[in-house]
Amino acid sequence: MQFTVEARNVRDGVAVIALGGEVDVYTSPRLKQEMVDLLNKGTTRLIIDLSAVDYLDSTGLGVLIGGLKRAREREGDLRLICNNLRILRIFEITGLTKIFDIHSSEAEALGGLG
Amino acid sequence: MAINDGEARVELSIPGRPEYVGVARLAILGVASRMRFSYDEVEDIRLAVGEACTTAMERTSEAGLPCQSIRIRCLIHSSELVIEVCDNALIPEPTPPPSNAPNLDERSLGGVLIRILMDDVSTLTDPETGQRVVRMVKHVGHGAR
Repeated sequence: MQFTVEARNVRDGVAVIALGGEVDVYTSPRLKQEMVDLLNKGTTRLIIDLSAVDYLDSTGLGVLIGGLKRAREREGDLRLICNNLRILRIFEITGLTKIFDIHSSEAEALGGLG
Repeated sequence: MAINDGEARVELSIPGRPEYVGVARLAILGVASRMRFSYDEVEDIRLAVGEACTTAMERTSEAGLPCQSIRIRCLIHSSELVIEVCDNALIPEPTPPPSNAPNLDERSLGGVLIRILMDDVSTLTDPETGQRVVRMVKHVGHGAR
């Protein structure tokens, strides 16, 4: 499945980046650029929607970790939406469920985000 | 490195560029799907091979060398699948590891994933070429992990 990345602002300072397809060493630089652009424009609370992602590798994980770090440096946050058990398992076996705030829906992810 | 012939062998060489890692993943998906692995195990193998290819590119890049190609060799046995990923880059090792000693970089997420997803993992240096080979084994019949 072709990689897609679509960002939209949901309210001031809050954006959702919806990803689709394979997030890997080839495609993850596009995700990184999207996050950096948003953060540089003052959008410091990011929700990354992984609902349509069918493959995620360590490069993609690294980009998400970098995004979380950059968001928190700006007193923001980065949350994930993920229902795919296969993708969730990757977060679990790498111990990243302790670092990321993972939600099952956009409404849930937006809750309490400010 | 001595490699015994398996029951069947599939070999693939891809350019050492990010856009071709997906090709290696697709190929290994085809190989593993023909064996008696569960869906989860096939996905584990696919991810591990992708990580090994990415690691190979990163290794050569960090050494300041272009990654010309990555060779993936699958040895298909009835009881296991052995996959070797060779980076085809001659990089001098500061302290050559003893044969069969695992030295995959566990600090990297990719290395951690490979070790979790596969049953046996080792990093070898091919005595014929001096190139590094990541050797991964997945046993058939261990069920979803």
